[in-house]
Amino acid sequence: MPIPTLQGLQTALSGLIASQEAIDTTGHNITNANTPGYSRQTAVLQTNMPLPIAAMSPLTGAGGQMGTGVSVTTFTRIRNSYLDAQYRTQNAALGSASTQTNELQQAQSAFDEPSTSGISSQLSAFWSSWSSLANSPSSEAAREGVISKGAQLATTLNQLSSQIATVSAQATQQYASITGPTGEVRDAANQIAQLNHQIQLSEQAGQQPNDLLDHRDQLLDKLSTLANVTVTKAPNGTDTVSFGDAAQPLVEGTTVNWPQALTKAAGGQLGALLGLSSPTGALASYTTALDEVAGALAGTVNALHTSTPFFTGTTAATIKVAVTPTAVQTSSTAAPGGNDVAQAIAALRGGAADRRYAGLIAQVGSDVQTALDNQSTSQAVVSAIGNQRQSVSGVSLDEEMTNLISFQRGYQASARTLTVMDQMLETLIEHTGMAGL
Amino acid sequence: MSERITSTMIAGTTLADINAALNGMQRSESELASGKSIQQPSDNPYGASRAIELQSTIDGMSSYAAGAQDGISWTQTASSALSNINEVGQRVRELLVQASNGVNNPIDRTAIAEEVDQLTATVKQDANTQYAGQYVFSGTLTATPPYKAGAEDEYQGNAGQITRTIGPGASVAINTNISSLLGNGQGSGDGKLLDTLRTISQHLRSGVPAEEAALGSTDLKNLDSNLQALTTMQAGAGAVTSQMRVAASRIEDLQITAAKALSSTQDADLAKVSVAYSSEQAAYNAALRAGASIVQTSLLDFLH
Repeated sequence: MPIPTLQGLQTALSGLIASQEAIDTTGHNITNANTPGYSRQTAVLQTNMPLPIAAMSPLTGAGGQMGTGVSVTTFTRIRNSYLDAQYRTQNAALGSASTQTNELQQAQSAFDEPSTSGISSQLSAFWSSWSSLANSPSSEAAREGVISKGAQLATTLNQLSSQIATVSAQATQQYASITGPTGEVRDAANQIAQLNHQIQLSEQAGQQPNDLLDHRDQLLDKLSTLANVTVTKAPNGTDTVSFGDAAQPLVEGTTVNWPQALTKAAGGQLGALLGLSSPTGALASYTTALDEVAGALAGTVNALHTSTPFFTGTTAATIKVAVTPTAVQTSSTAAPGGNDVAQAIAALRGGAADRRYAGLIAQVGSDVQTALDNQSTSQAVVSAIGNQRQSVSGVSLDEEMTNLISFQRGYQASARTLTVMDQMLETLIEHTGMAGL
Repeated sequence: MSERITSTMIAGTTLADINAALNGMQRSESELASGKSIQQPSDNPYGASRAIELQSTIDGMSSYAAGAQDGISWTQTASSALSNINEVGQRVRELLVQASNGVNNPIDRTAIAEEVDQLTATVKQDANTQYAGQYVFSGTLTATPPYKAGAEDEYQGNAGQITRTIGPGASVAINTNISSLLGNGQGSGDGKLLDTLRTISQHLRSGVPAEEAALGSTDLKNLDSNLQALTTMQAGAGAVTSQMRVAASRIEDLQITAAKALSSTQDADLAKVSVAYSSEQAAYNAALRAGASIVQTSLLDFLH
């Protein structure tokens, strides 16, 4: 079978087209080098269907196949879904640790320790005021001192208790806002469902929707900060997304199941918020411990101040001084110089209330320290996996420039081939046709 | 295949490194500025809790020191009152010896009796000595003078003890029960100082030979035994004062020890932090310089 005369032109043309498409892809990569969530793309080149040529060999009669050029079969994105899964797992851990750190640090600053204004200083000043009263039991000023130090201490306990309650309430509120009808979860889920639909349509049409896939992966990354995310890929190209410990998948095909109940086992930011504000969480345990401090304070002082209770209320939120300066009891007798009660109360320094409070500070400190450690570990792991992902999917400008040059040269060479073909045809048409004319 | 490195990775890593260096610097800077290595409990949870306890211990010691100082002033006031009473007693003894030598006429005796009455009033005044508005010899009835002015000699205070705390669980009684020295006057016949003084005055004026004779014998003996009791009481008050002094200086030592412990728990080691700070600064500068020169270049710079 003879070779079609114009085949060479077609072959050269395929080279021009393929080079142009490859250069376009390179341009797409370069322009998106800094786009978050972008995966680099390559034009997949493949040789065209060869032209069979029959009976070329005079000896064997065997034919051959002649190449007919190149074409771009598809544009693929370079992405490692295994790294994506790892990244999301660690991202949930980081979201959890960061939230823990933020909230616990807020609680820690509320304690304002060690300082000269925290509860420890005020407890100390309260005991010192009783010592002063023991030294001058009939002094009005010393009685006033005991009342004012006691009132200050009680007020600070009230405030601290309410500050911790506020931190807990804010955690609950934050959870409600993220999971609410206009929150991030629903927003991301809706977009994923929509992308699922579009991706499904594209894949049915035999196209690979790279940029839509990137967009969907980016939304999944965002969701993974909020809670643990598991993605199952369906054959039709849609992603089924399990979110935290929700009973139903958050997104299945084009359906969104939200709102759903989560627990603190959901992981991520939402799991941490639920854990912190739960009745068994860290913040509740601080409130309990503060109540124990207040209870021990009121209990031990009132047990010695037998005339009338010095403090009323046994929780940090309710404790307050219940006596007037004249009702402050210094002695078990009515004698103005007696100071046994004042001395006994002053000797409560370093007692149950002080010890419980110092223990609470150690607990708060080590909770924050653990959260900070977790955060920095998760951060390091997320960065490492993020780098691995970047290493696979990220755009390297050096690489793109190299590709650009090689495809540009390819384009130039194909154009030159076309010129040669043209000259050949010219020879055929212009010069061979003159014979006999 | 070696890892592909993209400019985004380099930028990200450089930024993270610069941030880490800056964080370290900020940490050292705040340690240097505040002088404290524990800024928040999370910096050192055990240390923070220990610092709180140590601070309270130091405050407690200040209270003990204040108690001891107050006790010292109290007992010094009491001691000086007691030595005044002792001087008065010695003067009465001189007068008594003078009156009992038999050469005095009734007018002289009456004059001596007048002086003894004056001295008795002085003794009662001394017993009514106050410290910071409190009667030091009234037991716990510190608002009541122990003896009324005039002829009534009954003790008005009680036997209550006044104590000062000078250490954890250590308290010292600082008041002296003066009624054991001065008693309740002649009416009670208790043989204490006021009884003795009133009796001496009575015997001086009586003109009865038996009573005049008693001046040199029973009265002198009683007075001597009262003065003996007074000396013992003075020694007791002095002992309490010196006990307080010892306690005060011991508290001071303990306070210094506790302050040292607190300092080593929460204070920054300035030399160490300064060295760390300069090396962090160097690391930060190096990170900045490296970042600036690495991220700048790409193949683009070399293509035409």
